[in-house]
Amino acid sequence: MAELSYPDVTQLAVPVFIAAILIEVWWISSKKRGGRYETRDAVTSLIMGAGSVVAGILLGFVAWGFFSALWAVTPLDLGTSVWVIALCFVLDDLRYYWVHRFGHRVRWVWASHVNHHSSQHYNLTTALRQTWTGTFTFMMVLRAPLILLGFHPAMVLFVGGLNLIYQFWIHTEAITKMPRWFEAVMNTPSHHRVHHGRNARYLDANYAGVFIVWDKMFGTFVPEQDEKVDYGLVRNIGTFNPLRVAFHEWQGIWRDVTQQGLTWRERLMYCVAPPGWSHDGSRDTSETIKAKHLARNPQDKGTPGFS
Amino acid sequence: MPLHWLVILVVTGIAGIALITHRLGWSAPRRFTTEAEARAAWAREFPDLPAGTVALTRQGAAALVMTAQGPGLVWPMGADSAARLLTGAKARPTTKGLDLHLPDPSAPHLRLVLDPDEVKSWARVIDGGDTWLS
Ligand SMILES: [Zn+2]
Ligand SMILES: [Zn+2]
Repeated sequence: MAELSYPDVTQLAVPVFIAAILIEVWWISSKKRGGRYETRDAVTSLIMGAGSVVAGILLGFVAWGFFSALWAVTPLDLGTSVWVIALCFVLDDLRYYWVHRFGHRVRWVWASHVNHHSSQHYNLTTALRQTWTGTFTFMMVLRAPLILLGFHPAMVLFVGGLNLIYQFWIHTEAITKMPRWFEAVMNTPSHHRVHHGRNARYLDANYAGVFIVWDKMFGTFVPEQDEKVDYGLVRNIGTFNPLRVAFHEWQGIWRDVTQQGLTWRERLMYCVAPPGWSHDGSRDTSETIKAKHLARNPQDKGTPGFS
Repeated sequence: MPLHWLVILVVTGIAGIALITHRLGWSAPRRFTTEAEARAAWAREFPDLPAGTVALTRQGAAALVMTAQGPGLVWPMGADSAARLLTGAKARPTTKGLDLHLPDPSAPHLRLVLDPDEVKSWARVIDGGDTWLS
């Protein structure tokens, strides 16, 4: 299957990323609105992005080997027409929705994804704050159906790259709202701001990559409200060290799992239960955070994010 | 794109963005000038654990917060803030203040800038020897 190859779009996009960040910086500094930058935060995000590409080069062979094995066994081959690529893009975006949802609901996957949410800023550099440890989540299995259906592995990776590039531009406060029809179908800066919110209202919402319709279909859509989005983690990290940013939640899992006096079920739950689960109930999950918020603010009951 | 061009682009891009944001004045760390600011920063992280007494460092670089679960700390994270309870924290005096080690992989190490006379009392509270600053 070596004959089929697509351009490495994420590498080609690097100059565009840099130019867009410079434009956003210029916009914010001249208009005095439309977002915030902080030097160490931005540099950390950019280093995470560069490290993520390096991790992909070093560990990409694991996923590639897995996909090649699947391609070898499947009898199906849908070919390489434009329509097949378009269909692959849409189905891969559905795959992204579920990977991303698991990324917030299963701590093992969250350990990789948490770093994308670890900035208290929301600007174009935040988009590049990408994981180094995605391979260890085993979420490549969610791509298996696509390959078994006859989409060539190179095509699947190509459309996955396009998906990530689409998500770059939505990490901005400089754009308030897109046209109505666009907001209805596509993931937008407004929808994704909600996803980066640590407000109780905005937790576990808007997992979409490109098409927001998945959230509407699966009941996780929350439109941006007047309540201003507070970006970051429920418990914000206290370090700009890229190694800490990349690995802190894996370290946290290790500490929890190796505590003394736990049952094997509890040890497993520290790996696979939603983030914030604890064997003694001493921590908060998004459900308990929302419940506690409603106890303090009963008037929010039934409003978006609290249904 | 050949790999060495990509590397050059990434390195100069990161350095350039760092320089520009710094020149724009966007690298000044957050300072807590009033007790109310420190209180708000604490409440943002611990909405269910109210801050009792609050003590700012003289330079406004952090604040100790007394809670029903023991002392906590609020400190600047760039332009923003972070906060943790100090359960299990260890403090070591340095020439500029205190080095803190927290049993938390997401905030394992902090350098507190303190005036010399603040160091002792803060260290006692953080190490759990004192219930509060006298
Ligand atoms: Zn996410
Ligand atoms: Zn994002």
